[in-house]
Amino acid sequence: MSLNYCLLVLAAPVSGHTSLTAARFGAALLSRGHTLGRVFFLDNGTSNGLASAVTPQDERSPQQAWSELANTHGTELVLCVSSAVKRGLLDAAEAQRHGFPAATVHPGFILGGLGLLVEAMQSADRVITFGAAG
Amino acid sequence: MLHTLSCGPGHPAVKECIALLRADDALLLLGDGVYIALQQSQDWAAMQSSGASLHVLDADARVAGVHHRLAPCFKVIDDDGFVSLTEKHSKQMAWY
Amino acid sequence: MSVTTEGGVLVVTRHPQPGRSLARAALDTALATAAFDQPVNLLFLGAGVLQLLPQQDSTSVGVRNLRKVIDSMPLYDLERCYVDADAVERFGLTAEDLPCGAVLVGREAQRSLLDSHQHILGF
Repeated sequence: MSLNYCLLVLAAPVSGHTSLTAARFGAALLSRGHTLGRVFFLDNGTSNGLASAVTPQDERSPQQAWSELANTHGTELVLCVSSAVKRGLLDAAEAQRHGFPAATVHPGFILGGLGLLVEAMQSADRVITFGAAG
Repeated sequence: MLHTLSCGPGHPAVKECIALLRADDALLLLGDGVYIALQQSQDWAAMQSSGASLHVLDADARVAGVHHRLAPCFKVIDDDGFVSLTEKHSKQMAWY
Repeated sequence: MSVTTEGGVLVVTRHPQPGRSLARAALDTALATAAFDQPVNLLFLGAGVLQLLPQQDSTSVGVRNLRKVIDSMPLYDLERCYVDADAVERFGLTAEDLPCGAVLVGREAQRSLLDSHQHILGF
């Protein structure tokens, strides 16, 4: 039976490797024939979408791991707008609104309100949370 | 239900998780949580007596270097096994 | 205590406020869920009960007062706020400290809450 999943990611990429585990979990569920309509990044989790984060060459980039899901399976990657803006993650519209020269959100991600999490939970068979201490 | 625990030994979340663990639950240790499965630690004894099925995420056990020192009550699973746990259990509580 | 809710979302909040934005994120999520007319309950577990300490004064730090947010929750139709009874005792909180409508829950009732909701969000 195919299930519809929603992931909530609260862990920042710099705090352990929880967010990479979450991205691998996303890929694994898709390869088992399930669907992943939306991943919602909240609180420290929003820094997964920071375009200017540079991952050392011998490490895996969380931005890339997540965008692969978006590109191949159309999974929507939503950063909670209030958590994101606080952390300097701005899309083109927010950058313009706050007077910054350029967007800092990776193009694979979009900003959105908590309503998008609520909506995803409503239609999901499974909601899986990934958090990290610190 | 499925419990995922990603805190190391001594963290208050470990006790809180054990208190709400039931026989038909599954527990998956990830992140720093994998240290709880060290055979010598005995921190897992209360988990074992709950009757829940106990699992460790392979990638995290390897990154911590504990994969050859795990208590035998833990089953080592990969990402696919993690998804399979969420298929069987319709909800998850994340302890961290 | 009997827990009758079937379905809906249980937001479990386990971390105290200072130095962490996670507590605030949990409240925002619960409020947003209620705002979209979805059934949601909140469970303060372990050190999370410290979010309920009254007389929080956040003016000198310049962050939001979490207790004020919690006290505003009935306005958003989020009436059910369950609180870990053991933790309340351990940290020396009294019934007067707790927000209006808070329900103290022991271990078995906490477990029933986990069982009776469709989704659990652990913060």
